[in-house]
Amino acid sequence: MMRKAALGVALAATALTASACGQGVLGGDSKKDKGPILLGMDIPLSGSSADIGPYMKNGAQMAIDEINAKGGVIGRKLQLRAEDDACDPKTAVAAANKLVAANVAVSVGGYCSGATLPTLPVFDRRKIPMIIPAANSTELVDQKLKHVFFVNGTGDQQAVAAMTWMTKSGAKRVALLHDNTSYSKDIAVRTAAELDKPGGPDKATLDAVNPGESDYSANVANLLRSKPDFVYWTGYYQEGGLILRQLRQAGYKGKFMVADGSVDAKLVKIAGGTAAEGAYATMTQTPDTIQGAENWIAGYKQKFGADPGPYSTQSYDAVRVAAEAIRKAGSTDGDKLVTALEGINGLQLFSGPLKFTDRHTLTSGGFVILVVKNGKFVLQDALK
Amino acid sequence: MSAGKGATVQDPPVKPVKGRGPTFVTRFLESRHLGWAGLAIGLLAPFVIATPYAMDVMTSAVVFVMLAVGLNIVVGYCGLLDLGYAAFFAVGAYTSGVLSTELKIPLLATVPAVIVVTVLAGVIIGGPTLRLRSDYLAIVTLGFGEIIRITANNLSITGGPSGIYGIPGLFGDATSSQVVFYYAVLLIVAAAVLLAARLGRSRIGRAWRFVREDEDAAEAMGINTYKVKLAAYIAGAIWGGLAGVLFAAQLSAISPASFTFLQSALVLMAVVLGGMGSTPGVVLGAIVISLLPEVLRGLADYRFFAFGVLLIIVMIARPQGLWPHRSRER
Repeated sequence: MMRKAALGVALAATALTASACGQGVLGGDSKKDKGPILLGMDIPLSGSSADIGPYMKNGAQMAIDEINAKGGVIGRKLQLRAEDDACDPKTAVAAANKLVAANVAVSVGGYCSGATLPTLPVFDRRKIPMIIPAANSTELVDQKLKHVFFVNGTGDQQAVAAMTWMTKSGAKRVALLHDNTSYSKDIAVRTAAELDKPGGPDKATLDAVNPGESDYSANVANLLRSKPDFVYWTGYYQEGGLILRQLRQAGYKGKFMVADGSVDAKLVKIAGGTAAEGAYATMTQTPDTIQGAENWIAGYKQKFGADPGPYSTQSYDAVRVAAEAIRKAGSTDGDKLVTALEGINGLQLFSGPLKFTDRHTLTSGGFVILVVKNGKFVLQDALK
Repeated sequence: MSAGKGATVQDPPVKPVKGRGPTFVTRFLESRHLGWAGLAIGLLAPFVIATPYAMDVMTSAVVFVMLAVGLNIVVGYCGLLDLGYAAFFAVGAYTSGVLSTELKIPLLATVPAVIVVTVLAGVIIGGPTLRLRSDYLAIVTLGFGEIIRITANNLSITGGPSGIYGIPGLFGDATSSQVVFYYAVLLIVAAAVLLAARLGRSRIGRAWRFVREDEDAAEAMGINTYKVKLAAYIAGAIWGGLAGVLFAAQLSAISPASFTFLQSALVLMAVVLGGMGSTPGVVLGAIVISLLPEVLRGLADYRFFAFGVLLIIVMIARPQGLWPHRSRER
């Protein structure tokens, strides 16, 4: 009994001494108002989408360096804090909490929609504005959270862009294929709804594959049975490349289009040069397709020794939007930042002048159509 | 051989082995007060560090302890290798998530329904599979784990691939403080751990261990092995389902991505790492498995590489687990 009591006392003593450091429940609120303003970023640095993380991080870092070179905002420098969300909901929540614990002023991350979804309340509850550069499932928007903003086109905007191009390119029967992830199914289902409307091309089939497999010939055969002349794949590039190759091997001669998750040089590599040639993509603007972005690309290359990739520009823009909001609000207070964000009008982004809708999304998705030419994605149609 | 004078005194043919009495360390490790000390550490931890990140990681660890203790009933006590344990975790999380968001009731009120549904799931999955043994059981449970996940991915009531979001907290208030939630989870899990440990020492617990050691002998001694195994499976299912409720409350959003085979494998790893059948070992194993990836966060890309290497080192150094079970009947 004595020993137990002694143990308890010892434990309590250790705990109380440690809590004097101010991190325990008894410690005070230690919000810093000096030093750099932290911008948090939940991005995949490991797992299936690990390729994207560095593109986004570098894009954001570039904007931060530019802003800091001009003296920062409201007299303070900006600093980036990136955490790995591994594209997994549980890891993403832990990472988001880590950012909250570090007292970030604004979150400028979010790539995988499924992993970003549970992080929304983590930030929203603590009144930390989120400017999401990539994740764009409509479910994120539908939550209508006060502190959540999107600088990427949303799923329904992408579906409309896809529909416009299908009609324009003279498609008759469109087959839709998704990989049953939140982002992918969202676009496919919304495009299907567009196709079901009278006029324009018809829906041949709407089908799903299991991501991560090494053979999709059964799905491809099933797809071809519906006799499509246009196939739209809305998943990511690993599966997209394989499906494209197997479609061509199966003798499919029609058009093939992918959504923005598949726009990566690896798609062409996996599909094989000739199979990928002529494949279309719905994509928000990338550095390659934006006129006048040559200097930006050169600057990026010089800084990071690599080409910018998907979502580099959106992450760059997200940081600039955050900085603009802090400048306008004159503080890092969450409510003031939201008012400032809602008030931004005409800030020049890669996707055009910014004005958030009342759903906190871009007025137009800024989607364009890319085509694979000589193994690279180039602009086909700006849809304007 | 002794070379004494004459052959009057003969050495015994086999030297009696003097049993090593319980050393200080083993006596310490077997002490029953240790559980209370562990609970005390858990209760006092928020006084040391209560940042949102720390609270989130600690809550995850405690939920993971619940999962591991549940799987320990199936794998550790009864020796049934279950590779699809995440299925029950998913069933619990989805049942409570769907009910609470559709009916707008606090999560705690869904617990009776969760227990009923997980028991049903246990019977449905366990009924046909428990007639199988060893490898075959492992393969079939692996299949069921995937079936549950893919079903959740394709049903509309489970929200398909994006899952269910906006799940209220345990008491219906989504904004309740993380510290309060941590304490609630800690007390629930502590009760569950205690119950599982007592279950392991009960009459049915002995039957489980008998089945694990020798199923045929157990049957010959009059134990209905099928029923006993099904009981272990159902108990494991209930523990897993309740862990699912806590998980849903913590994340406020659940999706099929959280219930992959990797999740089943991690829980099994916690059980094996800690020491199969040993409650303190499994608790320790679960804490290690859930905290290690977070501790190694600084290594960025090398995180899971380091995680794997550390696990291999532990299994080489202590193949019986960190804190193995010592058989003793009282």
